[in-house]
Amino acid sequence: MTRNSFFLHVCILVLMWTLLGAAWNVLGGFAGQVSFGHAALFAVGAYTTIILYLKAGLAPWWGMPVGGLAAALVSLPIGFLCFRLRGPYFALATLAVAELFKLVALNWESVTAGPVGYLITTLPPVRLFGTRLDWEGKPPFYVAAALLGVIALGTTGWLRGSRLGAYLAAIRENEDAAEAVGIDTVRAKVVTLALSAFLTGVGGGFYAFYFRYVDPDAVASLNLSMEMIFIAVVGGLGTVGGPLVGAAFLTAVGETVRARFQVGHLLAYGLFMMLVIRYMPEGIWGRLRRMVPGRRRDGAA
Amino acid sequence: MALLEVEGLHAHYGKSHILHGVGFAIGTGEIVSLLGRNGSGRSTTLKTIMGLVKPTAGTVRLDGVDLAGRRAFRIARAGIAYVPEEREIFTNLTVDENLRLGIQEARAGSPTWALEQMYDYFPQLKERRNTHAGLLSGGEQQMLTICRSLLGNPRVLLIDEPTEGLAPKIVKVVAEVIFDICRKGVAVLLVEQKLTIAMRIAQRVYVMGHGQIVFGGTPEALHNSPEVRHEWLEVN
Repeated sequence: MTRNSFFLHVCILVLMWTLLGAAWNVLGGFAGQVSFGHAALFAVGAYTTIILYLKAGLAPWWGMPVGGLAAALVSLPIGFLCFRLRGPYFALATLAVAELFKLVALNWESVTAGPVGYLITTLPPVRLFGTRLDWEGKPPFYVAAALLGVIALGTTGWLRGSRLGAYLAAIRENEDAAEAVGIDTVRAKVVTLALSAFLTGVGGGFYAFYFRYVDPDAVASLNLSMEMIFIAVVGGLGTVGGPLVGAAFLTAVGETVRARFQVGHLLAYGLFMMLVIRYMPEGIWGRLRRMVPGRRRDGAA
Repeated sequence: MALLEVEGLHAHYGKSHILHGVGFAIGTGEIVSLLGRNGSGRSTTLKTIMGLVKPTAGTVRLDGVDLAGRRAFRIARAGIAYVPEEREIFTNLTVDENLRLGIQEARAGSPTWALEQMYDYFPQLKERRNTHAGLLSGGEQQMLTICRSLLGNPRVLLIDEPTEGLAPKIVKVVAEVIFDICRKGVAVLLVEQKLTIAMRIAQRVYVMGHGQIVFGGTPEALHNSPEVRHEWLEVN
């Protein structure tokens, strides 16, 4: 890989992780519902996109939104089940659901191709607004990822100012009090989960499209859920800009350390996480915002 | 027919049986005080009426409609408002945002309240409308919770220890507001630790002990029943 394309690759990763961190943050940061199971939704998006392309010939850039819708649909029964539980019990339930999804992906070979997974060998060029887009290089992916990043940040920005956003702030702080003022907390949480799932599924679709390879370990592992959590936490829970900052920091740290040391890069990564959580519990973005006087709430939990 | 009728209400926390068939009634525009020692089940009664604790048996009828077992937000939308002892404001939201969360559409037969009216009631809140609610004093938080619940245009207001930990001057203000609320036709069920305040504000009082109603009557009747006060209220 040339230096230039490596740089673009890192930018694409940052933007993809921005989308995923923001998706998790919608539920975990704004609504205060910590999920360890977002990998399941990511997997639904990734599998939907790649299967639709390989079996039905649907181009991945259409497969991505379809993958998002599939993830949102799948999230509804999960939400109704898991939202009966609160706090750590909810988190554990989502973890169990994600492991269940991984097992299904490993064993339902007729649909998911089991542990072998799917591989995209060729991506035909496409004409978009009169220009020919060739998917062999990085730039078109960079543009697509940038678009997704903007959509993710735009969605969270809208959410923060919306009535639903105010409901979520109330739910995050005190669910009983929110119910007592007449907020249907289960409905608000299910809607939020569906929104979060849609963004996560789109991210999964993009992953399949960009890396061209989907198997259970790559798209349904606990690591993936953890990464989303880390990005939101390091960037700033319940903030709009947080996931971008978190994704940039963690990708930069991760890739730099990986390039330097073959082993031990996860160790450095973990150390960095611990330092941030210890010294900046409101996240990097949350800390930066606090240093700017006169700004209004961004509601770090 | 009474506006709010509670009958045979039972509630459990896990395996412990807290309410043993609580029953009482409140009419429109009436202030009723629920008295009793700590642990007698007063707060649980309010929470169970509100749906925050699921009743294991019994009925809670508002205007004849049984609400027992429904989720809290449905009970709130039916016209019962709750001001918990812990005040439970949303500290990350501003005063204004807190109040706006409480707004519900007016329902037939219930007095209505507007946001600006709340600010007229409590000018302190108006001054601080863009402040984070977590930065308010205890008294201001109490006012905020009362205002937030009134904006839901309730027919019944459940208030748990509204004067707890407040300065005497603020206690007077809160008592005035409670009078005002009931003058507009809202029924108020008040849990109050301070006997003198409860006796002065309430038109009727109920005394609870061991999760049951052990006395019901006017404040005068309670005043003239030293044995009830001795057995169920006074610390001995």
